[in-house]
Amino acid sequence: MDASALNSPDLQRFLNQEKEKAMVNEMVAKLTSVCWDKCITSTPGNKFSSSESACLSNCAQRFMDMTMIIMKRVQSMQ
Amino acid sequence: MDSFSRGSGGNGSPELSTDQLIDQVKAQLAQAYAEEFLEIVREKCFDKCITKPGSSLGGSESSCISRCVDRYIEATGIVAKALFNASQSQSNFF
Repeated sequence: MDASALNSPDLQRFLNQEKEKAMVNEMVAKLTSVCWDKCITSTPGNKFSSSESACLSNCAQRFMDMTMIIMKRVQSMQ
Repeated sequence: MDSFSRGSGGNGSPELSTDQLIDQVKAQLAQAYAEEFLEIVREKCFDKCITKPGSSLGGSESSCISRCVDRYIEATGIVAKALFNASQSQSNFF
């Protein structure tokens, strides 16, 4: 492989973008997994009930709230 | 795997341009994401739909699996959207 292709700023930019995308993807995947377990308690139907979809949305948001609280708390301890 | 030998090296040594490298990485990433997703969906839907494994996959089990896959994809969308909205409003605090 031609080593100069590895140094290109285009490649660096692409890799940084993909790193960010991967982090977001991981967060979404983890959250979906956790919230699915919490919210979808019965056999999957042809569509979500309104309480199921509300639960999923709330779950994700509360998780983020909690993350903020935890971060601030840990920061205040240092 | 000869996916690296598309370059223009005369003596057979592979030379990849940056664009080719980026394309390859994109394709591999997409594949990895798809496999990861499949793994999770498989686990979740097995849990929900195959409660008593029989000697073959029943009709109700098959349709449950179909619905489960659709629902899980939908759930991923709902969560992603909620996350996106949450991060938008939080950026106002920082």
